[in-house]
Amino acid sequence: MTSVKPPPGHFALLYFAAASDFTKRNAETIPAPVRAIELFQVLDQRYPGIKNKVLSSCAVTVNLQYVDLDGDDAADKELVIKEGDEVAIIPPVSSG
Amino acid sequence: MATTAPSEPTPPSEPMIRTEPHIYVELTYSPLDTAATIARAKSPEAGAVVLFLGTTRNTFASLPVLGLTYQSYVPLALSTLLSIARSILSTHSLTSISITHRLGEVPIGEESIAIAVSAPHRQAAWRGGEEALEMTKERAEIWKLERFDGGEGVWRANRDGVMGVRVGEGDDREKRRGSYHLQD
Repeated sequence: MTSVKPPPGHFALLYFAAASDFTKRNAETIPAPVRAIELFQVLDQRYPGIKNKVLSSCAVTVNLQYVDLDGDDAADKELVIKEGDEVAIIPPVSSG
Repeated sequence: MATTAPSEPTPPSEPMIRTEPHIYVELTYSPLDTAATIARAKSPEAGAVVLFLGTTRNTFASLPVLGLTYQSYVPLALSTLLSIARSILSTHSLTSISITHRLGEVPIGEESIAIAVSAPHRQAAWRGGEEALEMTKERAEIWKLERFDGGEGVWRANRDGVMGVRVGEGDDREKRRGSYHLQD
């Protein structure tokens, strides 16, 4: 069981499945704020290659809500990830 | 390849269950209780009960699978399962629905998912049960790691049915096994 409570000025970022394999961790805290649309770029600087190899097939949630960042008119294009938020990288799922 | 067998995660202190009238969804690290799943779905109003059990298979694409481990983003997966159950209950006018998925290590041949639905008549129960499974496989935030002979681990993806992503070499998998809960 892992609980993540970000320190002041940070948000929590959770990794699952292939994303946690690439980063070699389940979770970390990252300084806030970050524009949601720039999150993958921020992560690619920390983990070179992750954007193309993993993130391109992943979804993102912020506080348990999926964010829509695809295309010029994406609903969450202006969303900013704030201090204390819980963000997760969601690879393609495989239950059952 | 040095993917080691993942350790059993610490069981959560609180049950991973969401319920509302006619609906029960659960994630658990324990073996699934199929009799309890059926009992939850049964009702004097229902003339039909359909049970689906998904059991872990010993091969993928004819390669021998040694073991499987499921990981989940628990709070999100419970919300998704509840949303699926509500939708299926309403669409097929079911009497009740129960969806339970196992997490952690699941030995070959044991149940990883149990879905039971009941309805006044059989057609709705068959269709509702099938659709509940398909929606769960498509949407629930649960990931399956298959370990193959030779120690290689592969994360599956239901969406495309391909092998998925190979686990990197020499990683410290034990530390990263398990699930997440929101901190209250």
